[in-house]
Amino acid sequence: MSLRIEAVSKVLGGRTIVDSLDLEVETGQLASLLGPSGCGKTTTLRMIGGFLRPDAGQVLIDGQDVTAIAPERRPTAMVFQNYALWPHMTVFKNIAFGLKLRRMPRDEIRSRVEDVLRTVNLLHHIDSHPGQISGGEQQRVALARALVLEPKVLLLDEPLSNLDAKLRERVRDDIREIQQRVGITTVLVTHDQDEALSISDKVAVMTGGRIDQYDPPSTIYRAPRTRFVADFVGTMNLLRATVHDDHVATGDVKIPVRGAALGVEGEWDVGVRPEDVRVSPSEGAPAQVARVIPRGHYTELVLMLGEQRLRAFVGPGSGDDLPEGATAHIEISRALLYREGLLHQA
Amino acid sequence: MTAVAQRVRTRNRTRLRGFLLALPPVLVIAFFIGLPVIAAIAYTFGYSGGINSVVAALAQKQHLVDGAAPTFDAYREVLGDSSFRTDLLVTVIVTIVTVVLVMVLSWAIALYARFSRGVLAKLVTALAVVPMFIPVVIASYAILTFYSTDGFTRTLFHLLGWEDSPALAYKMTGVTVGQVWTHLPFGVLLISSGLSSVPDTLIDAARDAGASMSRAVRAVMIPMAALPTIIVATFTGIGVLGSFTVPYLIGPNAPNMLGVSMAQYYQSFNQAQQAVVMAVVVFVLAAGIGYFYVRANAKSARGSGRL
Repeated sequence: MSLRIEAVSKVLGGRTIVDSLDLEVETGQLASLLGPSGCGKTTTLRMIGGFLRPDAGQVLIDGQDVTAIAPERRPTAMVFQNYALWPHMTVFKNIAFGLKLRRMPRDEIRSRVEDVLRTVNLLHHIDSHPGQISGGEQQRVALARALVLEPKVLLLDEPLSNLDAKLRERVRDDIREIQQRVGITTVLVTHDQDEALSISDKVAVMTGGRIDQYDPPSTIYRAPRTRFVADFVGTMNLLRATVHDDHVATGDVKIPVRGAALGVEGEWDVGVRPEDVRVSPSEGAPAQVARVIPRGHYTELVLMLGEQRLRAFVGPGSGDDLPEGATAHIEISRALLYREGLLHQA
Repeated sequence: MTAVAQRVRTRNRTRLRGFLLALPPVLVIAFFIGLPVIAAIAYTFGYSGGINSVVAALAQKQHLVDGAAPTFDAYREVLGDSSFRTDLLVTVIVTIVTVVLVMVLSWAIALYARFSRGVLAKLVTALAVVPMFIPVVIASYAILTFYSTDGFTRTLFHLLGWEDSPALAYKMTGVTVGQVWTHLPFGVLLISSGLSSVPDTLIDAARDAGASMSRAVRAVMIPMAALPTIIVATFTGIGVLGSFTVPYLIGPNAPNMLGVSMAQYYQSFNQAQQAVVMAVVVFVLAAGIGYFYVRANAKSARGSGRL
C-alpha cells in the first residue's frame, strides 16, 4: 500500500474539518477527493503533504509514518491550485529549485529538467518566466516541478480550476496520461465531478469531513452508497415514493419499473438517473413535459408527475421531439432505494 | 480625410491634451525647484548674478568668477577643510549604519508579523509604526530625556549598580538611535506590505520542494520583496543624508552631520557659498543612492511588462 490515512482528524477554528478519516491509495493509482466546498478535501490533502498536522490519526507512505515529518522532508510533491510558480524565476529555475536543494550536479539538474519539460511538452519555454506563458502552460510547469522530484505521492490541489473549459479537458487528459506513464501514486482534490470521474482509478466522495463512499468511478455513479453521493454525483432524480414490487407510486401516479423486481415495499427515497427514465408516447405513467433542453447529442426533458419533478435524458427518436406542454409516458429501467440516507442493498 | 489620417489627428490631439494637463505642475516644479537648484549650483562656481545677487551681496568669504570661466575655489576650500571631511565621513557612516539597522529591524518585524497570527505580533507591528505619528522634534527631546547623562537609562543602570554606564545623547550613537527611531515605521510599513503580498502557497511550494523555512524566505520572500526593500533603503539613506533636526538636537557640537554643518555655515558663519557646496556634495551622494531606486523600479517595470 503506497498511501494510507488512518483515523485522521483536524479541527480548525473550533470546527471539525476532517473527522476520523480513513483512506488507502494503492501504488500507481490516482485517487480523487471529491466533495462540495468546506467538506475537508483540501485539508486532507494538506495533511498528506505535511502543511497541516493532524490532531489525531496517522499518515503512512509505504508503511512509514510521516505524520510528524515536515513537508520538506516528505516524499510527496504538490501541484497547487494557483500553480504557485515563483514569478521571479524562469521555468528552468522553478523546476531546478528542488534538485538544487538536493545538491545534484549541475549537468544532472539540467538533464532532468529538460527531460521533465519534454514530458510536459514545454522544453521551448525553458527560459521563459511564468508571466510569459499561458495558464495551461503554467499548470504543466507546476506539474513538471512536482514530477522532477520523483515523489512517491503526487498531490494535486484543484489543479484545473483556473483553466477555461476547453483547456481544462485537454490538461486533464495530459495529467492522466503523464500519471499513468510515470506510474506515480496520485491524490487529486476537486469539486468537479466530471474531472474526478474521468481520470481517477478511485473516487472518495467527501462530506462533513468524512468519506461517504470510496470506489471506482463507475460504482460511484451507478451505485451511490448514500443519498448524499447519489445527489452530489451526476444528475439524480430523488423521489419520495411508495415502492411496490414492479412500480413506484408518487401521489396518484404509478411509474412502472422494468427489469428486475425491486424486492421491497414501503416508503423509500427512490433515486433514478435521468438516462434510466424511458419516455414513450403511450406506455407508462403520464407526465407533462415542462421543459425541453437540447444538450447536443441528447435532449433533457423536465417532466412533471403531479407535484414531483423528474428529469429524463433521451436520445434521437426516443422522445426528443416532444414539445413543451405535451404528455409523455414514462417507465423506469433502474431505481436505487434509500432509507435513512443509505442505499438498500438487494 | 482618410480614416488613418483621422486616427492620427485624434491621437495627436489626445497627446496634446495630456501634455497641457501636465504642463502647469511641471512649470511650477521647474520654476520653484529647478531654477533655484541651477542658480545655487552656479553660485558654487562663483556666478553671483541674477537670483544669486542678494545672497552674494550678504555672504562673506565668497569665491566669485573673474570673467566668464567658472571657479572651483569654493569646492577647493570646502573639500580641503578637514572638519568638513570629518563631517562627511560621520554623515556617511551614520547613513550606512542607520540603513543597515532599519533594514534588519524592519525585516525582522515584518517577517514576525507575516508568519505570526497572535496578538503579540499585531501589537509589535502597531507599536513599530507609532513613531510615524510623533513629530521629530518631540521624538528627539524624548530620546534626549531617555539617553542623556541624567536620563532614564543611566538612572536605571545607576540604581542597578552600574555607575559608569554610557550616555548616548550628544554622541553620534544617540543620533543613529534617533535616525533609526524616525525611519523605522516607514521601513516596517513598506516591507510588511511587500511580504504580505507574497502568497502563502509560494512559501508552501518552496517547502514542498524541500526548502527549510529560512531557505524558503531567502529564495522566495526576499527576491519578491526586493522592490520595497530597495525603496526603504534608498529613502532612508536619502532621508538620513539630508537630516537636520535629529543630529541638531541629539548630536554633539562637532563632528556632526552635514545637515547641521550646512545650517551653521549658512546662518551662523554667513558663508552661504560654502553651505551650498556642502549641499551639492550631499545632493551628489543622494543622487547616487537614487540611481539604485530608479534602476530597481525600471527592473520591476520590465518584469511586469510596464516597460
